[in-house]
Amino acid sequence: MKKISLLLVLVLVLSIALTACSSSSNDVAVEEPTQEVVKFGVFEPLTGANAAGGAMEIEGIELAQELYPEVLGMPIELVVVDNKSDKVEAANAATKLVDQDKVNAVIGSWGSSLSMAAGPIVMDAGIPAVGTSCTNPLVTLGNDFYFRVTFIDSFQGVVMANYAYEVLGASKVAIVQEISNDYSVGLVKFFTDEFIKLTGDADSIVYVANYNTGDQDFTAQLTNIKSMNPDAIFAPGNYSESAMLIKQAKELDITTPFLGADTWETPEFIEIGGEAVNGTVFSTFFDSQVPLTPESEVFLDAYRAKFNKEPASVTALAYDAYILLVNAIERAGSADPAAIRDALAETTGFDGAAGVIALDANGDAVKNAVIKTIENGEFTYLTTIAPK
Amino acid sequence: MFNKKNLYRMGLILLTVIVLAILNSVLGKYQVRILNLAGIYIVLGLSLNLINGFTGLFSLGHAGFMAIGAYTSALLTMSAVQKQANFFVQPIVPWLANIELGFLPAMMIGGIVSAIIGALLAAPILRLKDDYLAIATLGFGEIIRVIFTNTQSLTNGALGLKGLTRFTNVPYSWGIALLTIIFMFSLRRSSYGKAFMAIREDEIAAEAMGIDLFKHKLLAFTIGSFFAGVGGALLAHLMGTIDPLMFRFLMTFNILLIVVLGGIGSISGTVISAIIVTVSMEALRFLDSAINLGFVVIPSVPGMRMVLFSMLLMLVILFYQHGLMGRDEITLDTLGGFFGKFKKKEA
Repeated sequence: MKKISLLLVLVLVLSIALTACSSSSNDVAVEEPTQEVVKFGVFEPLTGANAAGGAMEIEGIELAQELYPEVLGMPIELVVVDNKSDKVEAANAATKLVDQDKVNAVIGSWGSSLSMAAGPIVMDAGIPAVGTSCTNPLVTLGNDFYFRVTFIDSFQGVVMANYAYEVLGASKVAIVQEISNDYSVGLVKFFTDEFIKLTGDADSIVYVANYNTGDQDFTAQLTNIKSMNPDAIFAPGNYSESAMLIKQAKELDITTPFLGADTWETPEFIEIGGEAVNGTVFSTFFDSQVPLTPESEVFLDAYRAKFNKEPASVTALAYDAYILLVNAIERAGSADPAAIRDALAETTGFDGAAGVIALDANGDAVKNAVIKTIENGEFTYLTTIAPK
Repeated sequence: MFNKKNLYRMGLILLTVIVLAILNSVLGKYQVRILNLAGIYIVLGLSLNLINGFTGLFSLGHAGFMAIGAYTSALLTMSAVQKQANFFVQPIVPWLANIELGFLPAMMIGGIVSAIIGALLAAPILRLKDDYLAIATLGFGEIIRVIFTNTQSLTNGALGLKGLTRFTNVPYSWGIALLTIIFMFSLRRSSYGKAFMAIREDEIAAEAMGIDLFKHKLLAFTIGSFFAGVGGALLAHLMGTIDPLMFRFLMTFNILLIVVLGGIGSISGTVISAIIVTVSMEALRFLDSAINLGFVVIPSVPGMRMVLFSMLLMLVILFYQHGLMGRDEITLDTLGGFFGKFKKKEA
């Protein structure tokens, strides 16, 4: 028995070594015809907790490849790897892309934490990366090779603070944050700073309540908020928890308007929230009813023709990441990673499907935000706010 | 001291070091990264094996101890500038803001802090047994994560930390892994190790033989937590960024998988399965992409490798109910016996 188990182990190790060898020898064969192909590495969560998000982004990237299959006369090849919604795995996937597949640029990923894992790897390898929907400011901070096509939490927080102050005329705001979500924590921070600046009153944020991802009952937080009687409640967070929060608020007869952010823009939010979420206002990237640029129309037509449904915002962002890279290569006149990076850094006034993109010194997109509300169970466009 | 067996052992270690040195210089960054991960998972697997395998305490709080080690060491190695950049929501607590230590001391402190917390936790919950202990430790692992999420000024909460210098390389990861292996083998042969195993087999009998149950369980738990903390520190400095979500129950599960697959209670089994699990997860990646068989192209199905990986696992568990190695070890004797038989066959 002992011997058999030993043998089995040996066979396993050998077979793994063999597969590893054979795959690396394949790579050598591919590399030999000198760079006639431009490779974009895509790392997205295709399995695990965030698989749905990853799938939406892949849709956008593949659609973009169908529309723009080549650059500078060279075909573009996508190398898609799965990061399993896991940080360790995301770093492995990114290393594989830059080290083994020798990609010219990287696109990804859904989720800031996963993108952050890839950050030091692309920086060391000198390969530019374009983030899709990762909004944590730390993703691009201090990393010259990481860019993103989405605006970051700081801008979204500022937009909503301005909306609360100017449009709603609020002077007292209560906040409910999803403490275990980097996205929510970041947004709340920037909202708070801006709102205090606008009102000039350090006490204008009357109450900050926390909850954890997966919580079901918010009555304790809401009862406290009700006693504070704020003019608005800012509650960015996961759509399912947010929808339940708002529903429970209505049950407690809280009529204060709820403000949120782009995560709310999913059909599930209305499904769970029902009647209660009517009248909530949130900022997002993009509206499929009001095309922001000529590219939006190209994207919307192609998407509707292919999938026969309305695209999600993140799909448009992933599409933008791809076409921004194509555009950068055209501007650079070369698919050399360093040249792509330099061209990316200089991006201004680029027409993406989800708005006009200019990249700032950090590599973050400066672009318009769209404000939407929910009327009779449907997302309705309110206004577009330009960055200052 | 310098008898034949010890010489052989040293030769074996030297051989491993040489092989690793060659691999380190020959392989590309991607393979070296997997090599590093394998080393780290060996440390983590062995530390859980000490608690679960040797002593028979079914603990599921490993990710929590890793988180303590990872965060402690990360906060100690990060420069003041990095800390300031990271803590933009709430400034870091002042007493931590300017500390900057080398990797090795930071890692040791990470391990020690983890061990202290492990001991503090063990004192009350080691009164529990089996499933109850598993539930209590599982809860503890989650509590650690939730605390780290909420202590914004200490850990930067959900935003995580980034910009850690990536110190972990093959000498560090495998150096610590080899030390851990040697430590575990020596521990097992010591009176403590024998006591641990006696407790695993039958607590009442062990107590009747004069073994102080509480003391030994506490010791096993503390040592296990120490190595979990060290492993966490290594992982943090391989990644360069950490956040509380990294240390979910799934992380514990990964390590538990390594221990069970290798054989609960077997040191060499854990080492082998740590390498197999780490390498095969990456080696099976080709299954996710489209496969061209020459006559037919199978379209890419994401997650295919997970399916095959799970199937391999099921096969192993079906045919080897006690894991690859059971409770056996690869020792000099078995190695000698194994190759001896080959020699006989050839002759």
